[in-house]
Amino acid sequence: MFDRDIWQEIFHTLRNNKLRTFLTGFSVGWAIFILVMLLASVNGMQNGFTNQFNDDATNSIFVRPGTTAKAYAGFEAGRRIQFKNDDLDYIKNSFPDDVEYISARYFSNTTARYKSETGSYSVQGVHPDHQAIEKTIVTKGRYINNADIVNKAKVAVIGRKVSEDLFGQEDPIGKFAEFNSLPFRVVGVFTDDGDDNAERRIYAPVSTYQRIYGNTNTINQILLTYNPSFDLPKALEFSGRLEDLMKRRHKVSPSDQAGINVWNYAEAFDDISSFSAVLNAISIGVGFLILVAGIVGIGNIMVFTIKERTKEIGVRKALGAMPKQIINLVLLESTFITALSGFIGLIFAWIILSLLGPAIDTPAFSNPSVSLSTVVTATIILIVAGVLAGLIPAIKAANVKPIVALSDK
Amino acid sequence: MIEIKDLHKSYKMGSNSLHVLKGINFTAQSGELVAIMGSSGSGKSTLLNILGMLDGADNGEYILDGVPIKDLTETKAAQYRNKFLGFIFQSFNLINYKSALENVALPLYYQKVGRKERQVKALNYLERVGLKEWATHLPSELSGGQKQRVAIARAMAAEPKVLLADEPTGALDSKTSYEVMDLIQKINDEGNTILVVTHEEDIAHMCKRIVHLKDGVIVEDKKIEQVRAEQYV
Repeated sequence: MFDRDIWQEIFHTLRNNKLRTFLTGFSVGWAIFILVMLLASVNGMQNGFTNQFNDDATNSIFVRPGTTAKAYAGFEAGRRIQFKNDDLDYIKNSFPDDVEYISARYFSNTTARYKSETGSYSVQGVHPDHQAIEKTIVTKGRYINNADIVNKAKVAVIGRKVSEDLFGQEDPIGKFAEFNSLPFRVVGVFTDDGDDNAERRIYAPVSTYQRIYGNTNTINQILLTYNPSFDLPKALEFSGRLEDLMKRRHKVSPSDQAGINVWNYAEAFDDISSFSAVLNAISIGVGFLILVAGIVGIGNIMVFTIKERTKEIGVRKALGAMPKQIINLVLLESTFITALSGFIGLIFAWIILSLLGPAIDTPAFSNPSVSLSTVVTATIILIVAGVLAGLIPAIKAANVKPIVALSDK
Repeated sequence: MIEIKDLHKSYKMGSNSLHVLKGINFTAQSGELVAIMGSSGSGKSTLLNILGMLDGADNGEYILDGVPIKDLTETKAAQYRNKFLGFIFQSFNLINYKSALENVALPLYYQKVGRKERQVKALNYLERVGLKEWATHLPSELSGGQKQRVAIARAMAAEPKVLLADEPTGALDSKTSYEVMDLIQKINDEGNTILVVTHEEDIAHMCKRIVHLKDGVIVEDKKIEQVRAEQYV
């Protein structure tokens, strides 16, 4: 196989048939190129989806109160449901093994001022667990902690944009900003990969805001993450139990979707996973079919080559070439063309992907790339394909009767 | 060297059977130079194909250098051809993308002779046919006579027991034909057994024996006085 003479013969043939070699190789190179690009695109879509959802923990559940749409348990429809602090404690105590992190959200707006700079921002009163649920990245200082909650401390964690707006180049940590004329100490700055709007937000302890706004114990939303070891059915089962419990507690009809809404991220995520799995399968299928066309092309051209070289093969056999040697020659040639052109296609795709891939970062499509295992698989497929493409023509060549070479007709 | 007894061969043409060789008996000693003559359809090419193990006989015996040639597999036939036979064709059948030297070295390659040794041997044979200077040229750069001389060198390179030439001068003008025959005669002088298929009387008379084939049987087999080709060159 690694006989220098065989390789010399192959290079001879290829050099003498440049156009034919190019056209043959092109079909396979193109097929591999498309296959890799397809897989990379699916990968890009997957990345895009995942990035969008990665902004929040993928095992999170949102519980939102609403207005009842159905009369139930003696109450009329149209009743507003209001969550209070004890709802949070109730969930925590009811599901000690299921809940990982839990936090309330208290929504408010504020006009913030530092020295001469002012701005209008949304404020969320939260618990310390909120950081893990929202995957907030604190770049400077710290997040809200339990002491802040207990002390109802006037502290704030501000978004990167807020910091830029109010403090400019100044380090905001430890400085006091006025929120609706009340002084709050900035304890941290955070960034968010999700979007710029998130960075125009301010987090403060929920207890502080409840006291400022009428000493209430109401909350607007409950966020929680469940035990990360849960699989999808278990996660859905848990959010079902949670929904039942909250509806019973607030006397909302079990079939009333408007009264209390429990939204589980896992559902959306599961849809996307199976969606991209199907896309993946389709693109592998399409890529393969194109590759098959390429292989058939090579086989076709090899058959033609054999026909063209019938006389030469006859002469070789008359000179003592064994069938095995003829088969070797043809197989090696087809494998060589397939593998080489496939590699060129692969490298082309790879270069394009590594040049353009990182630059592409849109919500639905981000960093398309292929894994090493895909490349290795493609390589193996190529070599097998080359052998397959050459097999029938090679056997045909081995069966050429040397008598053909002798007849001069 | 060659022994043939009651050789029969027929070809199926649709539902008809064409009986080409109808019992050939023929013996050739080592060192003979035999011309096989006959008009087209006489079966001379078929006989040569069978002698060259390119085709099998239906009936009869064929013994080459004491080895019975019978029921050969493709591989075995290839080995025997390589060991026993050298072919010279009417249309030279050089491989057009290989240089003269590479063409001559090809049978040695199939004999698994090492690369260096192959080159030396092939060059040696090219020298013997007077084409040493043309070793690196492609067949397309050679004249007809030169091509046939390369082909003869190629046939000789494997050091076969028998050289089979099928109309070796068929594609050449008379002057080059004589040059080629001169070469064949000289090779024969060294003791090589050569069979030449031809339909040209003057070429046949440059051999030492003429076998006439007609309708699949040998009608005449005579020793002749050899005409040396040298005098015409």
